[in-house]
Amino acid sequence: MSLLEFKGSNCFRQRLILSTLSLKSMVIKDIRVKHEEVGLREYELNLLSLIEKLTNGSSYEVDETGTQLTCKPGLLIGGKVEHECSLQRSISYYLEVLLCFAPFCKVPLDVTLIGITNDQIDVSVDSLKHSSTPILIKFLGILDPSEVEIKVISRGLPPNGGGEVLFRCPIRKYLKPVNMLNSGKIKRIRGVAFATRVAPSIANRIVDKAKGYLLKCIPDVYIYTDHRHGKHSGKSPGFGLCLVAETTNEVFYTSDAVSNPSGSEKGVSVPEDVAVEAVFNLFEEIYRGGCFSSNNQALACLFMALGQTDVSKIQLGPLSPYCIQFLRHMKSFLHVTFKLEVDESSEKVDSEGYEYKKGSQKVIATCIGIGMMNLSKTII
Amino acid sequence: MDEHVEHKAHNVRKSGRKAEKKKKKTVSDEKSDEHRNRKAFAIKSVKKAEKRFRHKQEVLEKKKHIPLVDRTPLEPPPYVVAVVGPPKVGKTTLIRSLIKHFTRENLNNIRGPVTVVSGKKRRLTFIEVNSDINNMIDASKVCDLCLLLVDAKFGFEMETFEFLNICQAHGFPRVMGVLTHLDVFKSKEKLKKAKKTLKHRFWTEIYQGAKLFYLSALIRGEYLKNDVKNLARFISVMKFRPLQWRTTHSYVLVDRVEDLTNKEEIRLNPKCDRTVTFYGYSRGSFFKPQQNVHIPGCGDFSINDISFLPDPCPLPDKEKREKRRSLNQKEKLIYAPFSGVGGVLYDKDAVYIDLGGSHSHQQNSGDHSTNNPLLSSIMESNKTINESIEQSRLKFFSSSQAISDEESDENETQDSDEEEFENEEEDSEDGGEDEEEIEDESEQSDNEENYGEIEYNSDMDKEEPSRRRKRVRFESESAEEDENIAYDDSDNEMQWKDNITEKASVAFYKRQASTKNIQKLVYEDISSLKDEDTGSEETEFLSDGLLKVVKRQSTFSSEMKHTLDSIECTKISFECQDWDDEKVFETIADCFVTGKWEESENARSLLREDEITDDFEDLEVDKENEDEEEEENEVFKNEDEGDIEESKEAERLEKKRKLKEAFDTQYDEGEEKKDNDDAFYDQLKTELDKQAQLNKSEFEGLDDSIRVQYEGFRAGMYVRIEIKDVPCEFVEYFDPCYPVIIGGLLHGESDVGYVQVRIKKHRWYSRILKTRDPLILSLGWRRFQTLPLYSIQDHNGRNRLLKYTPQHLHCHATFWGPITPQGTGFIAVQTVSETTPDFRIAATGVVLNLDKSSTIVKKLKLVGSALKIYKKTAFIKGMFNSALEVTKFEGASIRTVSGIRGQIKKAIRAPAGAFRATFEDKILLSDIIFLRTWFTVEVPKFYTIVTTLLLSLDERSKWQGMKTTGQLRYETGQKAVTNPDSIYTMPKRKTHNYKPLVIPNGLQKELPYRAKPKYTPRNENKVERVAVIREPEEEKVHTIMEMVKAANREKKRKDRQAMKERIMRHKQQMQQIEERKKTREKEVKKQMLKLMSKSKKKTH
Repeated sequence: MSLLEFKGSNCFRQRLILSTLSLKSMVIKDIRVKHEEVGLREYELNLLSLIEKLTNGSSYEVDETGTQLTCKPGLLIGGKVEHECSLQRSISYYLEVLLCFAPFCKVPLDVTLIGITNDQIDVSVDSLKHSSTPILIKFLGILDPSEVEIKVISRGLPPNGGGEVLFRCPIRKYLKPVNMLNSGKIKRIRGVAFATRVAPSIANRIVDKAKGYLLKCIPDVYIYTDHRHGKHSGKSPGFGLCLVAETTNEVFYTSDAVSNPSGSEKGVSVPEDVAVEAVFNLFEEIYRGGCFSSNNQALACLFMALGQTDVSKIQLGPLSPYCIQFLRHMKSFLHVTFKLEVDESSEKVDSEGYEYKKGSQKVIATCIGIGMMNLSKTII
Repeated sequence: MDEHVEHKAHNVRKSGRKAEKKKKKTVSDEKSDEHRNRKAFAIKSVKKAEKRFRHKQEVLEKKKHIPLVDRTPLEPPPYVVAVVGPPKVGKTTLIRSLIKHFTRENLNNIRGPVTVVSGKKRRLTFIEVNSDINNMIDASKVCDLCLLLVDAKFGFEMETFEFLNICQAHGFPRVMGVLTHLDVFKSKEKLKKAKKTLKHRFWTEIYQGAKLFYLSALIRGEYLKNDVKNLARFISVMKFRPLQWRTTHSYVLVDRVEDLTNKEEIRLNPKCDRTVTFYGYSRGSFFKPQQNVHIPGCGDFSINDISFLPDPCPLPDKEKREKRRSLNQKEKLIYAPFSGVGGVLYDKDAVYIDLGGSHSHQQNSGDHSTNNPLLSSIMESNKTINESIEQSRLKFFSSSQAISDEESDENETQDSDEEEFENEEEDSEDGGEDEEEIEDESEQSDNEENYGEIEYNSDMDKEEPSRRRKRVRFESESAEEDENIAYDDSDNEMQWKDNITEKASVAFYKRQASTKNIQKLVYEDISSLKDEDTGSEETEFLSDGLLKVVKRQSTFSSEMKHTLDSIECTKISFECQDWDDEKVFETIADCFVTGKWEESENARSLLREDEITDDFEDLEVDKENEDEEEEENEVFKNEDEGDIEESKEAERLEKKRKLKEAFDTQYDEGEEKKDNDDAFYDQLKTELDKQAQLNKSEFEGLDDSIRVQYEGFRAGMYVRIEIKDVPCEFVEYFDPCYPVIIGGLLHGESDVGYVQVRIKKHRWYSRILKTRDPLILSLGWRRFQTLPLYSIQDHNGRNRLLKYTPQHLHCHATFWGPITPQGTGFIAVQTVSETTPDFRIAATGVVLNLDKSSTIVKKLKLVGSALKIYKKTAFIKGMFNSALEVTKFEGASIRTVSGIRGQIKKAIRAPAGAFRATFEDKILLSDIIFLRTWFTVEVPKFYTIVTTLLLSLDERSKWQGMKTTGQLRYETGQKAVTNPDSIYTMPKRKTHNYKPLVIPNGLQKELPYRAKPKYTPRNENKVERVAVIREPEEEKVHTIMEMVKAANREKKRKDRQAMKERIMRHKQQMQQIEERKKTREKEVKKQMLKLMSKSKKKTH
């Protein structure tokens, strides 16, 4: 029927996700026309090849200059897939797409991605592991949490990568509506300080520094050290820290920081600086708050919109730019409009006039799902 | 003493020791038998007990259904009642009688759906369904209740059973049978018998005890008043269950159609595509703007425009509703535009509006025309509302544009946006203060409402210019607030790019915090999003979000390179706030468990709540508690007394609510103890109830115009759907008697792919179905023709092609068709055109799997022969044509006819296609070698919609799509092509001449004598007999000799017989003598023994 038309390279991933899920064809024109490197980048083409592996009957046509892409999506198949990701972006760039697709495949997804696990652009794979799997569990109604798995088999850091990540997820016919209006209070903080192809003491230095900050807010802090060597250490040296804060209502906030890639212009990072960066990022994330961490806002909104024709209601922190764009795209692809309002319901001032200090203003997002059904799933 | 004495009646004690004693006794009496006499109820047989328990559990479990969320709207659309039956059975008469019963109006010409108000909470839409199979299929997809009319004199007809089968495949709406023509029966006995047989047949078809209604007599062309009244009562109390397909899909049963095409275009080209508007009640799920829809019998379309109209046949007002049970005459509305009732008279090229009469909203609109311009504008003409709605849409999405247009009209031209804002600020200062006050008070609500308001603007502007201006100004102000960071001019561009990240991060929170309307921030510039340009340097694009600000910046600084593409990154990449600072850290202090808890969550209040729920029976104690708490509170807090009282009141109410909840749950559970499974089931149920409650309450208070934005057009709304590019035949051959349905399609359902279904040939259908023969399917909303391939699934999951459907088995079928959710039922017919007395439904089934490729295979045997044979290796030729083919099959197992297994190894150079293979034994040159493989069969990509609505009335029942090959051959008089290989012929067998067995001399010597070949010819000396031809003389002698011989033979035989007899006689004589001799001896012995015994006695 009608072909959706877009211009420009931004939101490339969102458009692909929504086009594939809604089975709507689209054209993206004028991709990086005014740039030095005209057209689609390598990592974007790599993403297309990954999606092609996962779908059946899809066709993606890129014109000669690479500035125009015509997408005809196909049905999601899933299954056991191994994919070598581009080294320009981290694995999580691809994993975030897979998270959206996972419930709607024909066969449960079992993907091995090879590439960079932690970099300074994207969210790290560890963060996704801790913050996105609870979302899948919630929306898919999974009773056994071991069914969903994101596993870092080996770590790969930029520039050469070599990391390996396993992602497994069951499939569903429908998604469940979710109501989450209270994020609860943070009860524990966990973390992983990793170091690959560098001295093991670096991880300990990171832990010491980070703990110094975190213990000020809460006593239940534990940071694991993950020193890799041998074949599980990837191809480039580096270190970093990933922090996870868990609340009483099973909400997870994550943050991470990674050292500068070897041979970068910025020079060598100091472990303590990395620790501080991660801690500050975590505080920032806590400040934003909400029932879904900022990097998962879009995912949660997508699953809300794709759910059954019931009302879903969630509390979010300030909307991330990615989420805002996603909401707009959802309107054009799925015709779903969210009701977004400032959270007035939660207590702000107690009876004694004490004003609760819970970070930034929260947003309540409400929508009715479109009742999307997993069209790929086979019934017997 | 005859005096009657009034005795004092016995006073039963109600309190005290005695009463208590008695109470105890009675209580024990009330105990069940099982309780009192446990031994009698002890388990005697373990097996029986187990059986009993299992049976009980099964019964309990059977009662359970998967709980579903109740999604019925508060004001449901009219229920569709389809009146179905063969011709001349009294369908129209019944509808007319029912309408007369409900509305007291006599409708003579009933065409298309008729909507009536049947009760305070119920409306009904009647449709008549003739026996055209297309019509029956469409009706079964939308009707909530079908009245199956049966001529009692004739009995059930095929149409009735067909319709039941169609219904079954599409979700089975409620079915009620109605027997007519009962007055034709002369004798009562016959009538009774007929009723009974029909009833039982009906029950086997639906369920035992299904309702069958009797319409006893026809008087003056109408059914008896009492019969109709009873039937109407049944209809108006009937409960309908939600059907899977209909709750997930939105649909409209069209009750009014209008052609909006420009007359000039039609004049120029009478065959041009039309723009048509459809009207009807939205049903099922939510309609979304721009949704794809399917019109059965017409095709797929996408909605060009959808809007809701005031209900033409509304339920009586809730407020006005008196406490009467029946409706008054004014509330008994009827709406049937096709039949010319209900204000709008439908004609082929015009619509006549009846201003007086029963059309209620017409009267209302007369009253409200002054204060509801939208309504009046709708009433005036369709064109204007269409355009005006479009206009308002535009404004909603890009208000800035709309504002600037209007502002420019009023305030002359303005150079830049900023100036415009300034001007407005001045304006507001100049303007009345009261306006501002209103704004302050209801800022939030205004923000939410202004979508709707703007929609009205275009209609209201002439009347209330000042009001409109206020709205517009408010909007632009908020826009300024919202985007003051993103907003920029080309002048100050250089300033803010210096420390862009810091500014951005501050701005990020500030913007979202300051604005009360995030909704607007997100969806405001949705229209500009579509045509946004990445490389665009225009300032206006900056306003739609931070992303673009950064993006623009990127062209200057290479550091921000990844934030340029951060569009693709879910991470928010702003600089953090300085968390070393105590003050900054303070802002999140309460996010940790160590911080201060909210009152609703903190331990003390939770404890108190627990107390309340625990001892809810002790109200008095509670009160005491309350008092204590009050005192405590008074100690702790020194607040206004009014406040405290209010909070106390709220608390008390809360407490009451909790008590009630606790009681309810306990009461519902009853005395039975719930085990774990039940607990799970109950929990699920309560969860879904909660969800249903939320669904209903979430958008309840909102104005419809806003509500539609969020949830779409909900069921029960009267909607107008405009569709473009409808084929002209639809309008040309339009007949309201054929139901027009607009069925909403979900995402992906407008796509086409391979659909795998489970199918079973209907046992009443006389023929079996052939693979690749065209079949008409009714699946989802659609009716289409396609070419299915039948297959059956092997145990290893392989789909093997079948040539025909099996007789009494399910099989799979795969066809190229519309993607429809799994689990959807369908029916199949071979043709819709033929009018045979036979059963027309060929097969039924359900969708299993959807894909973009098919996996049906059929067996393929490749045959080759040996080229050269070594020990266990052989070269095989003739199986493949090229080396490439061989490489594809390397490693495949092969087999000779004699059963020797082998494997393909490698292609050889010449001849082409020959290869080396190894076997488990040496093969013979005469052996045939097989390779057994599977060949994927292509499913033909043929899918065409049955377009009955686009045909003239007499052609409608003759629709024929693709013909079967058999049909074509029959018509053209051709014979089936036969493969000569497939013809059976007598086998020709060569006779084999084996060489004589030669044993070498050396071996012969070694052999034992027994095994040595013997060279003594057996019949060496045999004289070959010569045929003797006798002379007549000799012949005579020969015959005499023969006769003599015969006589001699006979004599000998007789002698022999005589001898036999003689011997027999002699033997008998000898036997007699012997016997006599024996008896004599016995006698002697006896006497001897007697004497001996006597002598012995004497001696003693």
